[in-house]
Amino acid sequence: MEILEDLKQWQAEYERGWLAHYRETGEMDWKNLYNRPKNKTAPSGSGVDLSQSRLMFISTAGGYLREDQEPFSTNRADLGDYSIRRFPSSTPLEALAFAHVAYDHTAVEEDPQVLIPLRHLEDMVSEGVIGEVAPSAISFCGWQPDVVRTINETIPAIVEAAKAEEVDAALLVPA
Amino acid sequence: MEGIATTLTTWNAGVTRLTAPPRGTFTKLARGATVGKPHDVAQQRRVLEATLALLAQDAPIDMVRLNESAEE
Repeated sequence: MEILEDLKQWQAEYERGWLAHYRETGEMDWKNLYNRPKNKTAPSGSGVDLSQSRLMFISTAGGYLREDQEPFSTNRADLGDYSIRRFPSSTPLEALAFAHVAYDHTAVEEDPQVLIPLRHLEDMVSEGVIGEVAPSAISFCGWQPDVVRTINETIPAIVEAAKAEEVDAALLVPA
Repeated sequence: MEGIATTLTTWNAGVTRLTAPPRGTFTKLARGATVGKPHDVAQQRRVLEATLALLAQDAPIDMVRLNESAEE
């Protein structure tokens, strides 16, 4: 199953619409020119018994290890940062910083669990709701205008990490 | 995601629905605080529990509305 149906059509519209306008004017016209990715058919798949499953946490909040990892680019002229960061799910939340251009960081800096609820997930493991949390959490910056790059760069890196850690399920929390 | 059961929660149901996710919940929480208000542990847990509970179901399913908002 394709991640995005009609990817070539999306790319053509993006390049001749939003991207061309940005290159000509420097303006990012999300309202009138950006073609939101659309699918008609949702993926199918079997459910899982979460109490017997390994769950990977995935965030678009732009979180990274403040002391050990490079921040995501927040230069809008880069048109997005398509890399990912892996950090241990046991990371103290105060060790995280956030690099993202599209949301106010006030809430997440006050309480990181509003976007990175890893301590809650650990509690749910202790309670038997979740079998286990995968060793790594995955983070990327969700401000990614170019869906082609998301599909070709970001998603394969996430899938590779998920397979390497043999996860059964994933929770995505967009920012 | 290639044989891995996935779920999500979002405050932005409109844009998320367009992508046809296999499972998910939506709320009236705020951008930058998707799981709940800061330090509102009970709300954060409700959102997580409801979202994760969807993993038991075969996909695809309709997105589920949660009565959670950023208002006090």
